[in-house]
Amino acid sequence: MAEAVTNEGIVAKVKAFLATIPHNKITLRDLLNYPKTPVNNFIALLTVLFLAFFVIGVGNYLIHGHEAYGVTREHPWGLLIAVYIFFVVSSTGLCIVGSLGDVFGFKDFEVISKRAIFGSIVTILSGFAVIAFEIGHPIRMLIWNVLTPGLRSAIWWMGTLYGLYLTFMIIEFVFLLKHDMRRAKIFGLIGLLVGLAAHSNLGGVFGFLNTRLISQGVFYPTYFILTAFITGIYLAFIMMGFRYRLNFPENIRKMLVGLAKIQGLLLAILMFFETWKMMTAIYGGVPGRSDVAEHILTTWPFWAEVLFGMLIPFLIILKSKGQNVTGMFWGSLIGMVGIFFMRYDLVHDTQLKPLQMMETRVYQLPPEWVHYTPSVTEIMISLGGLGICILLYYIGTKLFNLDADTEH
Amino acid sequence: MARYGMALDYKNCINCKACEVACKEENGVLLGADKHRIWVGVNEIEGVWPNLSITSSSFLPSQCQQCDNAPCEEVCPTHATYYDENGVVRVDSDKCILCSYCMNACPYDARYVDDRTVTVDKCTFCSDTRLARGLTTTACQNTCPTKVRTFGDLDDPESEISILLKTRDHFSLKANLGTEPKLFYLT
Repeated sequence: MAEAVTNEGIVAKVKAFLATIPHNKITLRDLLNYPKTPVNNFIALLTVLFLAFFVIGVGNYLIHGHEAYGVTREHPWGLLIAVYIFFVVSSTGLCIVGSLGDVFGFKDFEVISKRAIFGSIVTILSGFAVIAFEIGHPIRMLIWNVLTPGLRSAIWWMGTLYGLYLTFMIIEFVFLLKHDMRRAKIFGLIGLLVGLAAHSNLGGVFGFLNTRLISQGVFYPTYFILTAFITGIYLAFIMMGFRYRLNFPENIRKMLVGLAKIQGLLLAILMFFETWKMMTAIYGGVPGRSDVAEHILTTWPFWAEVLFGMLIPFLIILKSKGQNVTGMFWGSLIGMVGIFFMRYDLVHDTQLKPLQMMETRVYQLPPEWVHYTPSVTEIMISLGGLGICILLYYIGTKLFNLDADTEH
Repeated sequence: MARYGMALDYKNCINCKACEVACKEENGVLLGADKHRIWVGVNEIEGVWPNLSITSSSFLPSQCQQCDNAPCEEVCPTHATYYDENGVVRVDSDKCILCSYCMNACPYDARYVDDRTVTVDKCTFCSDTRLARGLTTTACQNTCPTKVRTFGDLDDPESEISILLKTRDHFSLKANLGTEPKLFYLT
């Protein structure tokens, strides 16, 4: 009885605390009540379609398991891993962008803090929704990750730190909503540090693969942070573009011009890094690294990554010296397509080179490159992840005031 | 308590695949499963007839290299992969979450998904089967018609494998990676 009373007390306290978080009371009707413009209708339709894809894809996976995916023994990581990375990179990036204002105190960027932090929460939730159907036994993971933690495993650190990161992001967001800037700053800083640690560990998952020379080394753990920042800025443009229908108030425009200038610098650094990565990979003809790098240069997803993820947005910024914020909205949409290919290439290219190069069956040709094509189920779950992301973000815009507070 | 290893006199291999069949039978590997647990790699004869390079044709029996410093064990987030008391790299299927990191980290492509347990599995030197029954040979070794494989305790200086490794030159696959395999290829 005493326990029941205590539990009730805790529930009451939680309820009381939740009631203090500023939010709007919304119903399903409120969610359906949006300006019925062709663009809005198109996005709404697309979101519903993607969510339906998710349900179908997950259903197919639950029936057939990994057989429903295009992954193989030689290529065990496929599209869903790439999409998971896509989402968590987006989350870390938005966390960095959100921290510019409320953690580091750059006043111009405070106007996006709340929206970016909320974006970081919904993107990582979408990433988790996707990875849950790639990991073969997610429930078992939750149990054994705690009971017998593999502390030398980058996946363990990545997963555990991302879990912590999500917690801190939610706490920071709550304090931002409550306009408690001191606590928001503390939890924002902790969340940012944990997020950066988690994210570089994700790079470490690839960097620690000593047998995959194309990925092994320091490059990915650092590159992940750089590309996260770039992704965060692309998403900042997209979120603000939709929020203000491309008619940006002066303070928002000023913030976006600042972000565009930072983005120009980051893209230049990224292209510099990528160039040297490819050159050092090819130089000397080291088997398993040089041949893989040369092969990558002949694949179209790599050039999609370079063109959409780097060059086009960079040229837009360069041409207007960062002033063309509307152009950068479109550049950011293109940039995110490039970022998707960046993630896909990262996963696929790591596994390109077969580890066992001999024939094992009669009439079989010696393995050359490992091939992988995503299955329809994988594509459906991936698009479903995007649908979940858009839906959660949309609900957030209705439920919370994501604009900067006026007295902010 | 032992430290099991295997020496392979691989030049004696005739690619009859009896080892694959025996392994499937002993360890319940599903029929039709390709390269599960063990396999024989083939290098075709190079050149154009009649100028064929006979020495280029070779067979290389392979399987989990039972590394002393196993990358698969290192990357496992839940310690599903572990060294047993005999130094054999094993998988606890109850703990495996099928993240496939070990499949990507293993330099020898020695891991596969077992469709029965839906977890990653590998060669275990017949630890669950023959060794558990008190036998001292693995299925692949026992069936080999040309005596390619010698299995035994590396810590026992009098064991057949220890004597072989003392008296014959040998190499390990991808030794540069520092994985310290316990499979030794005799030259």
